[in-house]
Amino acid sequence: MQHSHDHTDGDRDHGRHEHPAAPMVNEITDFEVLEIAVRELAIEKGLFTAEDHQKFTEWAEQIGPAAGSRLVAKAWSDPAYKTRVLTDAVAACHEIGIDWTEPTGSGTPSDYMNLRVLEDTPTVHHVIVCTLCSCYPRPLLGHSPYWYRSPNYRRRLIRWPRQVLTEFGLSLPPEVEVRVEDSNQKCRFMVLPMRPEGSGSWTEKQLAEIVTRDCMIGVALPRTGRTSDDVRPVHKARRPVAHEEQHAETGQ
Amino acid sequence: MSGGNGQPSADTAGERQAEPARIALLETLQNDDKTWEKLAPRYGVTNPDPPWKVSLYATCECLAAGAALPALERRHAEDQLGETVYSGTPGPEQQLLALAHIMLSRGLLSEEDLARRMDAVRSRLEAC
Repeated sequence: MQHSHDHTDGDRDHGRHEHPAAPMVNEITDFEVLEIAVRELAIEKGLFTAEDHQKFTEWAEQIGPAAGSRLVAKAWSDPAYKTRVLTDAVAACHEIGIDWTEPTGSGTPSDYMNLRVLEDTPTVHHVIVCTLCSCYPRPLLGHSPYWYRSPNYRRRLIRWPRQVLTEFGLSLPPEVEVRVEDSNQKCRFMVLPMRPEGSGSWTEKQLAEIVTRDCMIGVALPRTGRTSDDVRPVHKARRPVAHEEQHAETGQ
Repeated sequence: MSGGNGQPSADTAGERQAEPARIALLETLQNDDKTWEKLAPRYGVTNPDPPWKVSLYATCECLAAGAALPALERRHAEDQLGETVYSGTPGPEQQLLALAHIMLSRGLLSEEDLARRMDAVRSRLEAC
């Protein structure tokens, strides 16, 4: 659908032009209705306030993996910054405008303000998971993808890391050790991948473009020419197991 | 209310979890043809998530912040419901149905109130 309009009120930035309106889903679904209904009733029952909901919504709308990409690009370009990232990641986040205390002054209920950045080397590759639930460094990476939240990924990665990485298209040679870091409810992790060959003269902005979300989870490697992640299927777990059993199998 | 207990934490280690009771109101909403995954390409929309997903996230965080529904308990119940009652529904819709299911199961909402409010919300959204 297209529309045109005139600005005759002295708007110097617009003037006469035409542009297509962004497409939108033009129907009301039960899911949209359910989300509104649940929220309104919760507010009416005093489970939380509309102001609190607005505060979390505004915060959630502006988080995304671009922050993590900037952090990695800066760490690649500035050895002193990389040292700070590896020693005090939350403080290093502050330097690129990411404040882990938002939106409440003490973070969110789901995001502990304790971040460790795991540096990949030629002989060690890291990948992150949360076997308990879906802990994720949201202030840096935004909302976790659904495959990351799925029991299938969480259960299988710790058992068969190389095979699961291969399913993501990442085949690592046997001499590279794979370390699976399991979030433990008190600490968030993020991977600092190795800078790819061929990017030596790149600016931080150029570098940030190839550091995708999957690279910082550890299921992909940055490479020149790759600037987005593939859409991943969410597989069902065929043999659900109780959380207690699942957690007991988890190592750090 | 036709809902059951959505909490998996009472299960003993290694024991297969019993399927939670189904909730009639939420059963009627499981229309796979109306999920964002199906609707978005139909309308040429490329955003991978429905617009209401951020609001759903905020609701979950607010419930945790106010201690009405701790995040870890919600996630465990989401896992259980996602693998059983709502296994045929994808990502954000499954998360939404699971949240409503958990809230109904815990008495934070009643099925009658929710049905009534959904009617009212739909009427409001469709009003010209």
